[in-house]
Amino acid sequence: MSDWRIVAAVVAAWLLANLAVGIIPARRSSRSVAGYVAGDRGFGTVLMYFVTGASIFSAFAFLGGPGWAYSRGGAAYYILSYGVLGMAPFLALGPWAARVGRVHGYVTQASMLAHRFQSRWVAIAAGSVSVIASLPYIALQMKGAGIVIEQVTAGHIPQWLGAAAAYGVVLLYVWHSGVMGVGWTNVFQGVFMIAIAWTLGLYLPYRLYGGIGPMFEQIAQVRPELLTAPGLGPDGAPWDPAAYSSAILVSAMGFMMWPHLFMKAFAAKDEATIRRTIFLFPSFQVFLVPLFVIGFAGVLYPNPPAQPDAVMPHIVLSSGMPELVVGLFCAGALAASMSTGDALVHGAASMAIEDVYRPLAQKRVGDEERRTLIRRVALVTGVVGFVIALTSGRSLVGLLLVAYGAIVQLAPSVYAAFLWRRATAAGVVSGLVIGTLITGLLVVFPELRPFGIHEGLVGLALNLATLVIVSLLTRTPDGAHTSRWLAVSRGLSTPPEEVVSA
Amino acid sequence: MRTAVRLFAACYFVLMAIAVTFPGVRPFNTVYPLVLGLPFSFAWVVGWVIGAGIVFFLVYLAENRR
Repeated sequence: MSDWRIVAAVVAAWLLANLAVGIIPARRSSRSVAGYVAGDRGFGTVLMYFVTGASIFSAFAFLGGPGWAYSRGGAAYYILSYGVLGMAPFLALGPWAARVGRVHGYVTQASMLAHRFQSRWVAIAAGSVSVIASLPYIALQMKGAGIVIEQVTAGHIPQWLGAAAAYGVVLLYVWHSGVMGVGWTNVFQGVFMIAIAWTLGLYLPYRLYGGIGPMFEQIAQVRPELLTAPGLGPDGAPWDPAAYSSAILVSAMGFMMWPHLFMKAFAAKDEATIRRTIFLFPSFQVFLVPLFVIGFAGVLYPNPPAQPDAVMPHIVLSSGMPELVVGLFCAGALAASMSTGDALVHGAASMAIEDVYRPLAQKRVGDEERRTLIRRVALVTGVVGFVIALTSGRSLVGLLLVAYGAIVQLAPSVYAAFLWRRATAAGVVSGLVIGTLITGLLVVFPELRPFGIHEGLVGLALNLATLVIVSLLTRTPDGAHTSRWLAVSRGLSTPPEEVVSA
Repeated sequence: MRTAVRLFAACYFVLMAIAVTFPGVRPFNTVYPLVLGLPFSFAWVVGWVIGAGIVFFLVYLAENRR
C-alpha cells in the first residue's frame, strides 16, 4: 500500500494550483454582469474549446465511464455515441443564439426565451427547470471528487471532507472570477485530464495484458457479452436495447440545453469561434476511448473494486505504481469533476438570479447588485449540491440520468423559439411544466415507464405535444416582434429594437 | 455550395443516429475483427465520432467562406 500522505500532498498542491489559475484572470474581465456571466462575449478558440470539452467531461466520464465499461460492458458505448449527435444541432443553434444574444444583451438561455415569447413566466419556468436539473449534476461531481480522494488516501480523508476541500476551491474561484475563472481553470484541468487518461489507457493494458488487442481477446473468451451493445443492465442481465437507444437519444437532445454549455454561445467572440469549437470537439470526445479501455482492463482483474464507480482508482492503486503517479491520477479525476462542477455552479447561480429572481421581483436591480447576488447564490448552490451528494443513495450514473431527464425538457422551447413562429408563451410554459412533472413522476415510479424507455423521452414527447396544442389554442403572438427577432437570429438584420439588459 | 454541405451534414447525423442505436447498430455489433485492438462494436462508434469531426470541419470551411 502506498503512503497516503504523499498522495494527499500531491492532491493539495493540485488544488492550490487550481486556485491560483482561477483567481488571476479576474482582473481582465469587466465588473459587469456580462463580464461575470458571459466573459464580455470575448472567448476565443482556446478558451471555448477547453470550456466546452472540459465542462462536458466530468467525474461521470472519468469514473462512471470506466465504471460502466467494467460492470456493464457495451452499455458504456452510449456515452460515446451521444456527444457529437448532441453537438450537431448547435452548428445552427449556436450562431443563431449568439446573434440574438449580442443584439439584445442576453446572458442566459431563459432570458433569450422570455424575450422571444414576451413573457417573464417563460424565464421563470425555463430558469427553474435549469436550476433543478443542475443540482443532481453538481451533487454527482462532488460525490465523484469525494470518492477519488477517499480511495487514494485509503480512507484517511473521508468522502465528505474530500468533496468539501475540492469544492471549497471551486467556490472560491467562481466567487472571485466568474466565468473567466471557470474558463482558465478548465484549460488547465482539460490538458491535465486528457494527458492522464491517454497515458493510463495505453499503459495499463500493456502492463497487465501485453496490449489492447490481447486484452480484448482475453475478455472475448471469458465474457463476450460485455463487448457488444447494449451490454448489461444495472442488475447484470442483458440491457434492454430500447433503454440503450433512448438513453442515447435523450442525452443527445438534452446535451446542448445545459445552461453551462448553451450560455457559452453568448460568451463566444464570434460565430467562427463557435464553429471552430464544434469541429474540434470530437478530439475531446475520443478521450472516452482510453477511459473505457481502463474500465475493461478491470474485467479480468483478480480482486474486484468495492463499487464499479471506483474501478479506475482501484486499478491504479493496486497495480503498484509510485505515489506520485497515484497523486497525479487523482488530480486528473478531480480535474474532471471540478471543471464541470465549476461551470454548473456558475451557470445555475446566474440563471437563478437572472431568470427566476429578477422576473419575480419585477424591480430594477443594478448591475453591481446582480453580480453580488449571483455570487451569493453560487455559494448556496454549492452547499445544496453538497447536501444532496452526502444524503443521496444514487450512483453517479443514476444522478446523471435524472439530471438529463429534466434538462432535455428545455429542448422543445429552444427549437420552437428559432423554428416555429406560431409558438406562444402559454404553449412553452405549459409544455415545460408538463414535461418536467411527467419525467419527475417516472423517476419516482420507474415501473410506469412504457417499454423501458428513458423517462426523459416520455416527458419530452408530452412536452412537445402540449407545446403544440396549447400554442394553437392561444392567441397568435405579436408577428412584428417575432419577425424582427428571427431576422436578427439569421443575421439578416440587426435593428437595436430594445436592449434587455446592459 | 454552402447548402450542399449543410444538407450533407444533416444526412450524416441522421445516418449516425440510426447507425449507433437499435436496430440500426445490429449488423455491426460484433467483437471481431478487432480494429486497432478494439472490438468492432466499439470501433464502430469511435469511427462515427471521428467522421463527425470531419463533417464539422467541412461545415466550418463552407460557412466561413464569404
